Amino acid sequence: MKVVVVKPERCVGCLQCRFACAVAHSKSGSPYAAPYETVLSKPRIHIGLSKNKDPFPNKCRHCDPAPCEMACLTKAIFKEPSTGTVLINPDRCINCGMCSMACPFGVVRYHFYPNNRMAAHKCDQCIARQKEGIAPACVEVCKVGALRFEDYNKVMDRDTDELSTLVYKGIRTGAQEKSSYQSLTEYKHGLEELRRRQS
Amino acid sequence: MSEYANLSICRDAQLTIKKAHEDGVETVWDRFKKQEPQCGYCELGLSCRICVMGPCRIDPFGDGPQYGVCGADAEIMVARNLARMIAAGAASHSDHGRELVEVLYKIGQGKAPGYSIRDTGKLKQLAAEYGIDAAGLSNEVIAQRLAEAMMEDYGMKKKKITLINRAPKQRLELWEKLKVIPRGIDRETSETMHRTHMGVDNDYVSLLLHAVRNSLADGYGGSMIGTELSDIIFGTPQPGFSEVNLGVLKDDEVNILVHGHSPVVSEMVVLAVEDKEMLELAKSKGAKGINLAGLCCTGNELMMRKKIPMAGNHLMTELTMVTGAVESIIVDYQCIMPSLGQVSQCYHTKLYSTSDKAKFPFMEHVEFTPENAKEQAFRIVRESVENFPRRNKEKVYIPTSPVKNMTGFSVESIVGALGGSITPLIDAIKAGKIKGAVGVVGCNNPKIKQDYGHVELIKRLIANDILVLTTGCVNVAAGKAGLQVPEAKELAGPGLREVCGLLNIPPSLHVGSCVDNSRIIVIACALANAIGVDIDKLPLAAAAPEWYSEKAATIAFYAMASGIFTVLGVMPPIAGSKKITELATSGLNDVFGACFAVEPDPAKVAELIINHITEKRKGLGLKT
Repeated sequence: MKVVVVKPERCVGCLQCRFACAVAHSKSGSPYAAPYETVLSKPRIHIGLSKNKDPFPNKCRHCDPAPCEMACLTKAIFKEPSTGTVLINPDRCINCGMCSMACPFGVVRYHFYPNNRMAAHKCDQCIARQKEGIAPACVEVCKVGALRFEDYNKVMDRDTDELSTLVYKGIRTGAQEKSSYQSLTEYKHGLEELRRRQS
Repeated sequence: MSEYANLSICRDAQLTIKKAHEDGVETVWDRFKKQEPQCGYCELGLSCRICVMGPCRIDPFGDGPQYGVCGADAEIMVARNLARMIAAGAASHSDHGRELVEVLYKIGQGKAPGYSIRDTGKLKQLAAEYGIDAAGLSNEVIAQRLAEAMMEDYGMKKKKITLINRAPKQRLELWEKLKVIPRGIDRETSETMHRTHMGVDNDYVSLLLHAVRNSLADGYGGSMIGTELSDIIFGTPQPGFSEVNLGVLKDDEVNILVHGHSPVVSEMVVLAVEDKEMLELAKSKGAKGINLAGLCCTGNELMMRKKIPMAGNHLMTELTMVTGAVESIIVDYQCIMPSLGQVSQCYHTKLYSTSDKAKFPFMEHVEFTPENAKEQAFRIVRESVENFPRRNKEKVYIPTSPVKNMTGFSVESIVGALGGSITPLIDAIKAGKIKGAVGVVGCNNPKIKQDYGHVELIKRLIANDILVLTTGCVNVAAGKAGLQVPEAKELAGPGLREVCGLLNIPPSLHVGSCVDNSRIIVIACALANAIGVDIDKLPLAAAAPEWYSEKAATIAFYAMASGIFTVLGVMPPIAGSKKITELATSGLNDVFGACFAVEPDPAKVAELIINHITEKRKGLGLKT
């Protein structure tokens, strides 16, 4: 089954996924009209920051079994069988907070829905888009390949191939080649070291 | 072919995009697709890269940051970005104008061989407007004095730029009250950059009013000087016929294209291709002759004055090389896609850049100055002719036959066609034969099917007896669609058809390049002055259905500030600020008597404009 696979080491923190997510779940679906709607659509993907300021795109993993679903007393949270997506029925939600406490990833939030009622709020893996054969909005907009919509096993197969290439290139030489991302991280570490010394 | 029909309405474009793909050449449409979906923050104007406390973004959904690091809110961020856009557009047109001032000055000094004064009448008229007593002075001395006076327009010596006085009295008073009269052409652009630096102007209304002043410094300054001096140096355009589309390329001649915006380089190329020695050389290389054609606004300048045909507009520039029939493209500046060099690597086409401010990958740089322009033009033309034997004749693909296009409608030639005065036009408007006039201007943009926005809008406007004036890329679009020949009157409403028939003109008139939007402003001012009302009372409108560039944003701003309702086909990056969006689309009406509308569908644009013109006619007490 296809899921959104996150490659945090590729994320540059551009926040495009958050913008596209909010637009995709807005009433109008238009980037120009969505900010003008009465109930603002909220992004369902969050960019966390590590201690070293490295960004991490965090969203619902659609677990199976899903702790949030098990914790939901009113059965507002349920699994859509054909795509394996964990969904929320906002009309059944009583805002008790159990799901967000149970979630190991901290991705269940509480926001207003278009009917102006607050309820638990999280990624629905763009199930409406999926039914039209389109990838989730966050994946479509990600320019650096940090978010991919794929089968886990396929991704791991590809990673294995990449690893094989690296092995044959010689892991040592491969590791010595600095990516632009590494340079940025080193620059950030340097800044921190400077700050530490100054304080 | 349906895949290509979604990209452009033009047959020549569709066929050559297909060939480009077969040849493995990447086009602007492919690159656009790879960029999609584009950055939402940037589309709304909510990203700021002005300083390195940033880059910052504001979250329009209220979940993330609402202020940049400096504390700028959505209004300040959008206004600063927009003002910088206007400044860049004004800088481009005005720098173009400056080049003509320099050439005029050098002509006066006798240091510009190849260039001369072609329209002495206009030189004297301009000199009078600048308060120069020309009695008893030679043309050279007048040229020098006029150039010097114009240099002052660019500087900080004056309280207001000279040609702003062409605006009607009421408009000048309004601008005076709003403090938006430009003081110097370069000064306003420079001040925009200052105001938008972190920690200077942080009131969005004040920022936008200055942006208006900056745009007026272009419309009544840099652009207007550019147009007027081009007429003086190269001749005021007169009506005549030319041709458009890729079919203007010839399979048995050396094809040389000129691309960019300035007539300063291309007029010298015209001299060189007409030279006997060059023609002999071409014949010795197996070509029947040398065929010169234009692209973009350089093409418009040459078509207006010399009736030289045009191979295409903005989105056609890469495709010209795909024909395999182009020996060289000579570029000056603005709107020249850096991709041209990449495309040229797949064909035999040689590319030449000519301006020290515009250099490109895979282009040979041959610098033009007023002093050396003539010899450099000869050098490039010679090399182009020598490139002819490298053409792979079996692979030449010229997809279509050219279409006739009438051109050359300067203000002077329109007045001439009317019998020497603007009164017949006013009478036709009063009688309702012509309901109003609309400038359809602007660019191409891969976000809109090429030329669809232009052509559909023009057809609807002329069918409703509205006279259309075109500049820039729209000229080529309208020309290709056959809307700019006298026979196109059959597509016009009964009133406009009668007028076009009487004067033997098309219902859509080509008035020039994008700096020549100043010609439309001059006509609007002349109409207002003749009737004795302000411009915003007239049945006029403007539309930029496929605009892409910062220059177009500046043009839209000075049109609006002059009192002309302006419809944009592509959303400018302002929607991130509710206050500014409301101001632009309605609030400005209370300030300038005109505002903007954004609408991509040409049918709806036509409706908006027709309603606007009806309302203005009612206001003047004319029948609707």
